[in-house]
Formats: sequence, structure tokens, C-alpha cells
Amino acid sequence: MAEPEAVEAPRSRFAEAIWASLPSVLSVGLSLLVCLLMIAITKGSLSIAGSAYLEMLRGGLGDFEAFGEAGVWTLLTRPWGEAATKAAILTFTGLSVAVAYRAGLFNIGAQGQMTVGAIAAAALGAKLSLPFGVHAAVCVLGAAAAGGAYGIIPAVLKLRRGVHEVISTIMLNWVAISLVENWLVVGPLRAAATGDNSISGTDQIAATAALPRLLSDGSRLHAGFPLALLAAFAAWIWLFRTRLGFETRAMGQNAEAARAAGIPSARRSLQAMVLAGALAGVAGSLLVQGTELRFPATLGAPYGFDGIAIALIGQTHPLGVGASALLFGILRAGGTRMQLLHVHKSFPELIQGLALLFVAGRLIWQWALTRRAKRAPAASGPPAPAAPAPPAPAAAVPSGGGA
Amino acid sequence: MAEIELKSARLIQLSHISKAFGKVLALDDVSLELRPGEMLALVGENGAGKSSLMNVLYGLYHPDQGELRIKGERVRLRGPKDAIARGIGMVHQHFMLVPTLTVAENVVLGREPTRRGLLDLKRAQQEVEATCKRFGFQLDPTARISGLTVGSQQKVEIVKALHRGAQVLILDEPTAVLTPQEADELFRVARGLSAEGHTVVLISHKLKEVLAFAQRICVMRRGKMVASVAASQTDTRRLANLMITGEEESAAAPSLHVTAEGSAAATTASAGEPLLKLDGVCAGPKLTGATLEVRAGEIVGIAGVDGNGQRELAEVVTGLRPVDRGEVRLCGATGSLDPHEARHRGVSHVPEDRLLHAIVGPMRVDENVSLGRQEQPPFARGPWIDFTGRRERTQALAEAYDVRPRDPSIPCGRLSGGNQQKVVFARELDARPKLLVAVQPTRGLDIAAVAAVRRKLLEEKARGVGVLLVSLDLEEVLALSDRIYVMFEGKVAGERPRGADERELGALMLGGAAHG
Repeated sequence: MAEPEAVEAPRSRFAEAIWASLPSVLSVGLSLLVCLLMIAITKGSLSIAGSAYLEMLRGGLGDFEAFGEAGVWTLLTRPWGEAATKAAILTFTGLSVAVAYRAGLFNIGAQGQMTVGAIAAAALGAKLSLPFGVHAAVCVLGAAAAGGAYGIIPAVLKLRRGVHEVISTIMLNWVAISLVENWLVVGPLRAAATGDNSISGTDQIAATAALPRLLSDGSRLHAGFPLALLAAFAAWIWLFRTRLGFETRAMGQNAEAARAAGIPSARRSLQAMVLAGALAGVAGSLLVQGTELRFPATLGAPYGFDGIAIALIGQTHPLGVGASALLFGILRAGGTRMQLLHVHKSFPELIQGLALLFVAGRLIWQWALTRRAKRAPAASGPPAPAAPAPPAPAAAVPSGGGA
Repeated sequence: MAEIELKSARLIQLSHISKAFGKVLALDDVSLELRPGEMLALVGENGAGKSSLMNVLYGLYHPDQGELRIKGERVRLRGPKDAIARGIGMVHQHFMLVPTLTVAENVVLGREPTRRGLLDLKRAQQEVEATCKRFGFQLDPTARISGLTVGSQQKVEIVKALHRGAQVLILDEPTAVLTPQEADELFRVARGLSAEGHTVVLISHKLKEVLAFAQRICVMRRGKMVASVAASQTDTRRLANLMITGEEESAAAPSLHVTAEGSAAATTASAGEPLLKLDGVCAGPKLTGATLEVRAGEIVGIAGVDGNGQRELAEVVTGLRPVDRGEVRLCGATGSLDPHEARHRGVSHVPEDRLLHAIVGPMRVDENVSLGRQEQPPFARGPWIDFTGRRERTQALAEAYDVRPRDPSIPCGRLSGGNQQKVVFARELDARPKLLVAVQPTRGLDIAAVAAVRRKLLEEKARGVGVLLVSLDLEEVLALSDRIYVMFEGKVAGERPRGADERELGALMLGGAAHG
């Protein structure tokens, strides 16, 4: 029986990756364009909008023209440091969301896990005295442990009592923030006042606990950045090259089939949530050990929530998460420079939000792309999800609810 | 309801209908005429275009080409609402009923009689009762759907269509879920309707019932209408030939046909050691005391009406459902089971719902093949995935089981149903099981795929594997099994040897009380 199968030309893995990332790339491009037009409309001039974008790039990638004239390295390394610092934190929170997502769990709790990790890093950094190198590593690991432990709670609630992780992680965010900022930071861990200076937040961490700077003094580029790249790579290896990662992904995409195949779903869920919490915890430690050098009165930046956007724009693929974190790290670092042209610095966040919105409409992208592909018969894409059911739907319809 | 002229030769004309879905031409220049009072059967393999054609008639699909005439008038149906208004009704394979509502409420749903803007339940009940009486249905309009048998629910669907004034009634695979007795009842009802001047169209691929039911049989194959024959002038063999090859007489088809019809190979290998012994096993509300045995080298069929504990039985044996009471002895051990342990003891599982329980649709074919044995070679080397080993094994299996396309890297969910089932079979049999639990293994497959699956089951049996075959298709159970257990309300209601009488089994399936 020769069935009329759609014969597809095998695509190379590289082409496959390009194809898969297209919706995200187009979404980001579209949101950049929309924001450009919005700036142009509010400022009444497209050229101002263009210059604002140029300033943003200078702020994120370095002011190459000024460097060319003056030859001062900090003109490049300082922006790099800002972009890399932000990108590193976004990578970790993005990976946190992505890893849980691949296991079929929606982790909205990266913010809380990050907060817990940050306070752990701050406490260990201030209270312990360990040699250089060891101290920083201990703080990072402590933050990972704290975040991971905080990730156990929603996992256990889900496995034991069936509480949906979206609900529990959202609520645990507020528990974490309240416990840490309203009690620990103003109570037991409050910085000792030195003379007349009353400092808000916790004590400053020891110099040995700070993440070592990698470039000249003018740049805040620290060891957290390569650590983030390493983490993204490791998460990719784990998810896509190891047996455990395979089991986790299978569970995330069809929990029933995974269970029937003998995969211990409860254990894999718990592992994924602990890992997600640990990754978010490390994001907190980077914030403390790389930027703030203490736990400030309030953590402020909602990097944990940004992680959701970063993960989804990166299509929950660890390497995609790394790429999208890097991009938005650059845009955000450069956003402040747009103020030179009286453009509000929050535009990068707007770009990020719009990109998320467009990625969420991915089905529409795929539909548009396959329509194009259909017109050009050489290329072939995934079937359009909006198309009417193929003529043999009986095979795919679940059985009538007899049981 | 507009009375139509019964004598008019053509009630409905579908002329030169074509419909494409992407690259697939589902209907290719198909023409069909329906006469008043006619009992017509539309047969063909899965994907032949039967349902697509009827969906065009029911207004669900808009044809790319061709025209539809009702009572000589050219019409364009914008949706099922138009079709219903013009007297066309369809009973789908999966019932569209609200289980918590009563019969009357379901029948009037969407066109409820109202009084001062409120639902007039009393009038609804009277109206529905009148319709039931008129067409000779014995249904209590106040009964809740959830408490009815599948056969009665189907009647409700038919009443619903008739209540809306259907002159043409399309039944899509109506007997798939019925016992023989219930099917007989359905055909009795259908004959009555036909005698009253209604046109009944039966979509089916069960040739025996088609021959018993229809006056005229139209055969479709790959989107084309290949034949329209009088039922009195054909037989199952010729129909099967038409469905498979498009010609009445063919050299290749008969062998296929014999296997598809399934006469179990006469190699009654003397059954070996017991592999599975259940003793008074209770699990959940649906399984309330199953006692049975499966030995090596035999196929044991489980027959029963849907929802009598067969599914739960399969879940117990495969470790998916914990046992409340009773003893399960599986491959010589009695300890508690989970899916991992069951697989470890040598159980393979072909579940009823592939996409839900066997396949991770978005994952690649080779990833799906490794599922369940992902920690063993050739699928893994230590903690790492063995990509080469996995691909090679998948390619070998795809070759052996004729999975199309062969490419192991495409998402499994994009294969056709038959090919997905081949992947599941390949994977489960490649594990060299001692006991194979197959639930509805041929559901939704076309004739060639059904034949392939049945052949596989017989091969495994010949190799000494014990097979527990759960199927709602009594014909299939009878064709393949060495012994048959009938389940009723969570218990084994009886055991019969091969060659048992279909009627007798049907009576057991209904709890021993035969009616009809």
C-alpha cells in the first residue's frame, strides 16, 4: 500500500535550527520595528528614533567611534560589562524557567527563588571568611542550594496534593520577598551601622566573596558571565544529550506516555524543579556577588519575571535562552543611553514585552511561513496548525469516555 | 417539516466534488446520488474519503470544485446549520451529547422551546416523546445521558437528527461501539426509517454488516468513487478487492483479505507455562474482581462492551494502575507493579490510545522508539544518549515494519495513524516481551494495516509470547483468540474457547440477559 505520504527532503541540522528559531528572530525584529515607530511618533521624527537606537547600541556594545578617536578601552569595556552582567542574570533566570518548562512545569517562581538565592549568597559572603576563589564559589553554591530547596516546595505540593505549580510558585514569590526583605534584611541580617552611616540592606560581602572582575577596573564584567554561558551549554547537554534529559523532555511533552514507558515522573519533576530553583538562585548570587555586593533594601529588578520572557523568546531551548538573554542584556544596558535624546530608558523592556507577545503568537508565524513555503514548492515546513483536519481524523481522536 | 415527493428519483446529487487538504487530495472528482428511502452504504479504507464526502454533504467541508443539488436545487451549504435546515442529519462516530443533561434536553439543545423567554421543559419533553413514538424509539425523555448504554446514546443522536427534520440520515461507523444485539437493533431502526421514506447512509468498513444492511454499496478508494453496486450482486471478497485494489477481481488482494478477516492460524501451539494469573483482582471502581490466566504461546481475547473494566484490566497488568485487592502473578513474581517493573518482567504494551499513552507526538520517531528502553543499549551508553545506535536501530525497525516515511528524525505525531501504530508495535516487540498486552490494536487502521497488525500478533504467539488482546471489536477477538474471556461490570462473566458463538458472547457481554 503506497500511502500518499508527504515526502520531505531531509534538512541539515543547521537548517533545522535556523528554521526553528525563525519565529523568535522575526518576533524580536518586529518588536524592534514597532518600538522604533513608537519613538518616532512620540518624538515626531524618525531620525531621532534612529539615533536613539544607535545610542542604545553604543550603550550595549560599546562606543566604537569614540574609541576610534580616543583609544580609551573603557569606552568599550564598560558597556560590555553592563551588558554582560545583565545578560548573565537573565540567562540564569531564563534557564530556570526553560528547564522547568521542558519538564512540563511552568515556573513563575524564579523571582522568589532568586531572592532566596541572593540572601543566601549575601549571608555567606558577609559571615564566612574563606580564601579567595573558594569563598565566591561557596556563595554561588549556597545560593543554588537555597534556590533549589525553595523549588522543592511547589514540586512537593504538586506531587503530593495536586497544587498547580503556577499558583504555588506565584504565591511563594511573595512569601520569599516578604521573608527576606521584610524580615531578614531589616532584622537578623541587617547591616551593622558604622558611625553615622546607617546602611540599608545587609552587610557588604567580603572582598573574597565578590565574583572576580575579568577586564580592567572600568568594567563590571565578572566571572558570572562565562559561568552563565557554561550553564546554558550544560543545560543543553543535559536536556538533549543525556538519558535523564530525554526522560524529562518526554515527560514534559506527554506525561502519560512517559509514565507508561516506566519513567519515574515524580522523581523527574522534582529534579527539574530543584534544578530550576537552583538556576534562579545562582541568578540571585550573581546580583549580589557581581553587582550589589550586598543584599540591598529591596532587590528591585524583576529579573525572575524577565526570565519567563527570556525563556519563551528563546523557545525554552538553553542555547536560545542564552542568545535572547545576551540580546536583551545588550539592549537594556544601552537603554539608559537613550535618555541622552530624552527617550525613556524603559523601551528595551517594552521591546522585550512585545517580542514575548509576538512569540506567543508563534502559531501565526508558523502559519504565515508555511503558506509561503507552500507557494514555493521546493521548501516544506511543518503543517499549518490552522488547516482543517486531514481526511483521516478517526485515528487521532481519543476514545469515547467510557471509562 | 416539508414533505418531499417520495417518488422523485434524486433527492441529493453530489457532482464532481473535489476537495484538497494541503497536498492531499481527499476527494477527487466524486459524484454520488441519493434517492429517497434508499439504504446506501459507503465503504472504503481509512482515508479513502468516505467521511470527507459526507462532511461535504453535512456542510462541514466546502468543496473546492463540484456542485451539490438538493431536490434538484443547486445549494451552497455554509455549515451544518444549513444542512440541518435542508433535512440532512449526521450521527458522528463520537457522540455529541451532554452527559449531565437528560435525553429531552439533549435533543432540543440549540432549538429549545421557550415560554416567556424561559426554557419550557415540559413542552420539550412532550415534543421529544412524540418524536420517539412516531419513529418507534423506546427512550425515556427524562433519563440522563450518563446513565444510558452506548446503544441508547446512539439512539438519542438519531432522535436528535430526526427531531430536527432530517430526511437524510448519515451514520458514521455506527456499530464500532455496539454489541451484535445493539447493532441488530440499530439496523432494525434504520430499516424502519427507510420504509418511511428516509434516506440512510451508512459509513463503514465492516463488509458483512454492509452487505446485510444496504441496498446499494458505493466503494471509495483514495478519494475516488470506484464502484457503485447493488448489495445483492456482490460479496465480501469482491468488496474487499474493490477497496484495496479498485478492481473486483485481483490476484493480490485475496490473501490480504483472508488475513484481514483474520482466521486465526490453525497452529494451535500447545499453550505453555502460565505467564499471567489474576485472582479476584480489584482496582478502582471499574474493575471489581477479575480472575483469569494467560499462558505462553496463546492469544487470550477480552471481549466486552466499552467501559466494563477491560481498560482497567490492561492497566493493572502493565503496572499503570495500582491493585486494591486480589493477587497478580506476572512472569513468576507477585510483587507490586509499576510500569517500569512490568516492563522489566517482560511485559510490552500496545495501548488503546497511541497519542495519549504510547507516543510523544512532538518527539522524533527515533526518540519514540527508544521510549521505555531509553536506559539500555543501543539507545544509551551510560548516562548518554547513543544517537548512532538509536538511529540505526530505528532505521532497521522502520525497514522491518515498513514505517513510512523511513526518516527517523521527523516528529512521530506527523506520521499517519497506521504508521504510528507500526512504530509502537516495532518498539514494543523489539523489547522481546514475554507477555504482550494489546488494547484495540487495530482501531482506526485501514485494511492493510489491520492485516499487518493481526499477522504480527499471530507471529508473536507462534514465537511463544503470551498475548492479552483487549478489543471492543468482537469480530477481531473471535478471529484471533485461542480463548476468550467476557467482561461485564468489572468481572469476568465467562470464558469460552475459540470458535464460540457470537450471539452467546454478545449475551454474556450484556450480563447474561440476552435480548433480541
